[in-house]
Amino acid sequence: MTLPSPEILLQLSINGALGGAMYGVAAVGLSLIFGTMRLIFLAQGAMIILAAYLVRALFQHLGIDPFLSLIIMVPVGLAAGWLIYQGLFRKAAAEEDRNISLLIAVGVMFLVQNLMTVIWGGNTAAVVTSYTASGIELLGVRASFTRSMGFLIALAGTALVVLFLRKTLVGKAVRAASEDMTAATLMGISPHKVNAIAFAIGIALAGAAGVAVATTFPFNPFAGFIFSLKALVALALGGIGNVTGALAGGIILGLIEAYVQFFISGGWTNAIAYGVFLAVLMFKPEGLFSRPYKKA
Amino acid sequence: MANRLLEVTDLEVAYGDVRALWGVSIHVDAGSVVAIVGANGAGKTTLLKAISGLVPAKRGDIRLSGTSLLGHLPEDIARMGIAHVPEGRGLFRQMTVLENLELGAFQPKARSNIKHALEKAYDLFPRLKERTGQKAGSLSGGEQQMLAIARATMSEPSLLILDEPSIGLSPLVVQQMFQLIETLHKQGVTILLVEQNIHQALKIADYAFVLKTGELAMQGTGAELIADPEVQKAYMGVLEL
Repeated sequence: MTLPSPEILLQLSINGALGGAMYGVAAVGLSLIFGTMRLIFLAQGAMIILAAYLVRALFQHLGIDPFLSLIIMVPVGLAAGWLIYQGLFRKAAAEEDRNISLLIAVGVMFLVQNLMTVIWGGNTAAVVTSYTASGIELLGVRASFTRSMGFLIALAGTALVVLFLRKTLVGKAVRAASEDMTAATLMGISPHKVNAIAFAIGIALAGAAGVAVATTFPFNPFAGFIFSLKALVALALGGIGNVTGALAGGIILGLIEAYVQFFISGGWTNAIAYGVFLAVLMFKPEGLFSRPYKKA
Repeated sequence: MANRLLEVTDLEVAYGDVRALWGVSIHVDAGSVVAIVGANGAGKTTLLKAISGLVPAKRGDIRLSGTSLLGHLPEDIARMGIAHVPEGRGLFRQMTVLENLELGAFQPKARSNIKHALEKAYDLFPRLKERTGQKAGSLSGGEQQMLAIARATMSEPSLLILDEPSIGLSPLVVQQMFQLIETLHKQGVTILLVEQNIHQALKIADYAFVLKTGELAMQGTGAELIADPEVQKAYMGVLEL
């Protein structure tokens, strides 16, 4: 086999990284929710697709530019996340029943999928704007404009979450609760509040990811589940509970997929992605980026 | 009667069908150090957990300055002025020393005072100031215990609860720990202390309660209990000749 030219390799890497950032931003949401509730919120992908449909509706009916709709989708996501926690998960969380929480998440996923099918039909949808086909050219490689924007949204979203977690007292409380909920309550931190905050931010990220997905990929009501699975792979790659790791894990997954598609075949993409998932869980369950601290 | 800060009356606690405490009554006066001693499994930790709301009481009452704590969530009890340093310290190991201390002042009424409380904590624990940016999990056992206590003082609690602060520490560090408790006592902090290190605990305690298999076996001033032959025989390894 001859090695492809550096341009092709670079082009592959760019496509992979830009696409993978979508998995990453979904994984960041999963990571936050898992952090405080120890719940894998399987409906995250469905929420992203729902957001994509809403972005499309805002564009088609009100003429709001998809990227401009971020300023609607993020606050709506925050509110929706808060309500979803208070309405659906609060009771199960109070009883620390994680099986019930997981079942509720699965229920939400199916409900959202089917609602979307009823409202918008089961066919593939897409948002096509004047700039959908445009790209940025640099050094002989081309990056799609919408994918690049999606990448920026993922980076900015993750950066904001990290800033919140590191710089604000409430963010620190969320981290503390992720590490030891009992000790956190002894500090006067309410578990329901941190859970609700994690959910609010997680769904707000789904809103932002919805913008990125709507502008880059064709989507249908059932695409969310695969999205959740991919986000789960990204989460494992990055280390569960590591927010920046989750984004990086998504980008790595995107790169793996792009390379597999090019060098092996498209049919192998998912098999290899899930194979990597299992391998990481078996050999490095703490994720690829964990740095254990030395105990003094 | 002195100023009763904490009053526990006829407390019963059960884990499922297993009764852990059988009608225990204790009290803590404001400004005092009170020790609870007893063998493993006597119910000491359970008593502390019931006070801070981590396990529910089956019967009896727990009052802080006259207000019943029963039915309140742990986070509410923390806000009412009880700071509990649990067994195992409950540090946020992945977070820095400074972040741990800041979280100690998470409660709204402590937040405005955070700078002052931090200065005070660093005065009392200069080692922590040196390690302010280090992760709590990277500290030595003694430093971790100091951090756990310092964090609990950040909210200026009316009652500081310490569960086995000397456990797992070297003898020298244990000495430092008890000196620290005395320092806090002198600063006016009210302390409820559970210890396996019975001799040391009774030495610094104004008053002490002895728990035995979930029941109150004895009580008295620290000095009285140290001198008591039964306490010496049962808990301090004094041989009968």
